Amino acid sequence: MKAYILKRLLSIIPVLLIVAVIVFFIIHLIPGDPASVILGEEATPEDVQTLREELGLNLPIYEQFIHWFAGIFQGDFGNSIYMNMPVLEAFVSHIGPTLSLALLAQSISIIIAIPLGVIAAKRRGTNVDQLFMIIAMLGLSIPSFLLALLLMLIFGVNLQWLPVAGYSPVSTGLWSHLQFMILPAISLGAIQAAVISRMSRSSMIDILSMNYIKTAKAKGVKDRVVVYKHALRNAFIPILTILGETFGSLITGAVVTETVFNLPGIGQLVINAIVRRDYAVIQGTILLIAFSYLLLNLIIDLLYGLVDPRIRLSRK
Amino acid sequence: MKLKKNSNYLILFLLLLTLLIVGCSSENTSSSSDVSKGGSTTEASGGTIKVAYPTQPQSLDPHATTAEATRDAAKLIYEALVTLDSNYEVMPQLAESYEVSEDRKTVTFKLREGIKFHNGNDMTVADVIASMEKWGTNKAELGEHTWNEIDAANVKLTLTEPSSLIMYFLADQGNIAAIMPKDIVASAGATGVEEYIGTGPFEFVDWKQDEVIHFKKFEEYQPDTDEANGLGGKKEALVDAIDWHFVADSSTRVNGLMSGQYHFSHMLSYDSIPQLENSKGSVVDVWPYGLEGLVFNKKSGVFTDVKLRQAVNYALDMEVIMSSAFTSDEFYTLESSLFLPNQTAWYTDAGKENYNQKDLEKAKKLLKETGYKGEEVVILTSRDYEHHYNAAVATQQQLEELGMKTKLDVYDWPTLLERRNDPEAYDIFYTGFSTTSTPNQFVFLDSETAWPGWTENAEIDRLLSEIKVEENPEKSLSLTAELHSVMWEDLPIINTGHNSRVSGHSEKIEGYKTMLGPIFWNVSLKE
Repeated sequence: MKAYILKRLLSIIPVLLIVAVIVFFIIHLIPGDPASVILGEEATPEDVQTLREELGLNLPIYEQFIHWFAGIFQGDFGNSIYMNMPVLEAFVSHIGPTLSLALLAQSISIIIAIPLGVIAAKRRGTNVDQLFMIIAMLGLSIPSFLLALLLMLIFGVNLQWLPVAGYSPVSTGLWSHLQFMILPAISLGAIQAAVISRMSRSSMIDILSMNYIKTAKAKGVKDRVVVYKHALRNAFIPILTILGETFGSLITGAVVTETVFNLPGIGQLVINAIVRRDYAVIQGTILLIAFSYLLLNLIIDLLYGLVDPRIRLSRK
Repeated sequence: MKLKKNSNYLILFLLLLTLLIVGCSSENTSSSSDVSKGGSTTEASGGTIKVAYPTQPQSLDPHATTAEATRDAAKLIYEALVTLDSNYEVMPQLAESYEVSEDRKTVTFKLREGIKFHNGNDMTVADVIASMEKWGTNKAELGEHTWNEIDAANVKLTLTEPSSLIMYFLADQGNIAAIMPKDIVASAGATGVEEYIGTGPFEFVDWKQDEVIHFKKFEEYQPDTDEANGLGGKKEALVDAIDWHFVADSSTRVNGLMSGQYHFSHMLSYDSIPQLENSKGSVVDVWPYGLEGLVFNKKSGVFTDVKLRQAVNYALDMEVIMSSAFTSDEFYTLESSLFLPNQTAWYTDAGKENYNQKDLEKAKKLLKETGYKGEEVVILTSRDYEHHYNAAVATQQQLEELGMKTKLDVYDWPTLLERRNDPEAYDIFYTGFSTTSTPNQFVFLDSETAWPGWTENAEIDRLLSEIKVEENPEKSLSLTAELHSVMWEDLPIINTGHNSRVSGHSEKIEGYKTMLGPIFWNVSLKE
């Protein structure tokens, strides 16, 4: 087992190397540079040139790359030109909201989706099944920003039950933190729930038609035990895959939701950095996101082993 | 049938959703007009004003950048020797008085006494000199110059070339000549100072990147005795603090204003106005911004020929362009002058016979004379600023009607900024120019600045240098009129008209005014 984990961790390194090279060169080949963004509309071309030199942006690109790359091995991802802080610090300070949003949204989607999918699978073909799947279809079709704005309008502006936008870290109080996170979490979670519920339903339908399920029922095992203990556990592998994918996309920054609700998360960090051409932040953040995603995949793979003993044993 | 039953559920569900939205919306009230009038200061109310601002500046150091995002926030904490009154004329601020010498090469400033910095230290002549020297680096309008101490309360600026406009330059709001402590100036880096210490009515507390800047009332602020006027005069912090939030999404800024989460939201989209006017508790502010300019590439390409520029100018219908960009004539004025009518020292309608001709026949005739062979005209634009984009699209249509072949190149704003510098990359781009105090402060007129578009008109250069040294205000005005005539003949840019932007504030805000951005001194919060 340990050898497996070690092998997987080592295999992350070449991937990150490739990501680093690609990201760096793409960002630098895109037109636009931070100096003109910093200095504003009516700055003279002369001033812009001077600032470029002071920021080291006129050095040959290979030199800039080597300088940045060497720094990474020492844990130095460079400094944000715009925010005057180390990139690592910017990343760490922005990960809180995204992590919280991802966990909350994922929890909401699991709580909604799995029961929904299971019940729909059990009552396959009935009105209940069709209703649930229509709701799921609605959830899939609605764009996240539209749902976000609708929720904001109803609960923030009209009912004034919750704040419209903004963020309060957990450290200043759990309840105030949740107040800001509920609407964004629902707007993301509801849509994820649609995806997960459909996957749960189809996976469950497959399992429920298996012979061993019929055997268990024939033997007189209680319905609930059949469904939740035997069927669900077997159906869980594809569900786990979907969960991993959706969580991954949440972690990599639900940019639209973060922008609409003004959450200072990773998504906002990357978008702002791109608009400002803050090279170090874009490069460092994308690299760190890639790393998180690869790590997440490893964890999901290990979880497979937990859920399904056959996979665990085949690894030995 | 089963299917029908389920679609009934669906319809019921959607109906409920709609009812929920509609039933809960606020009552209608008549729309209130924008800026409150009257200059009397209200009692200090305490409280914290919550501001929703669209973009985060890189730095609050006004010396380091012309960015509006810096200027709007820096106004709270910094002051300069002189500033602008409501007619864009110079008035003293940290200087008690100033005197320009006969030969207009020297300005002597008497500094106000007892001015304190936010760090508790007194403002001294040394601080003034250090700040002005830092501000003055690379300023072409100043030329070679020196600052000298006369005594503890007086300082002198000496120019090598005489200038009648020097006071306007020192009062410039694009790049505020903020006075900062000497040691902070000395430790400033390439992108500005490391610490934000000024003399203004509010002081800087902290900055959470991409979230919020906290300002608080500066208890030891020394207000001017003159009545509040434009950006100067008596300024008082009537609230305890200001939270300057960065909210990128304009719908969120509107929603936050309506829900009461923000007291002030800056730069709202024009189509959110009906929504705001219908909601209780919000007031819409319409504030003059400046002009919308079509800039020609005069260095390379088809528009090196002035006749072709004139053909375009004859063809364009400014009403169509301005209404496409700014939606309603509440937000634009068809005005040929570079200045506002209330800028009486400079306003002139000279050249207006060439403005908004919308004579397609005349334009086509002129086009033929130029020998235009159907070369593709590239219009550079960006969707990051919808009004510039819409103006570009409207222009493209009209150029096609004129008989020109066109292409719209759409990029994001930073890319556009870079491509603007490449003479081979475009023929036209649109941008906005803020109202300024003098003709010399517009970046697109002179040939020395080499601003994108590359104006090279000897006549304009001559007029600008004459205006710079002209003593007689009447003569300055007639020179400016001549400048306008030349501009409308030679067309370095086409001023398509003046426009306003929209912000909104809560009814709880009292005393709000606006000039080149929002003003939060002399503003109190009702509870």
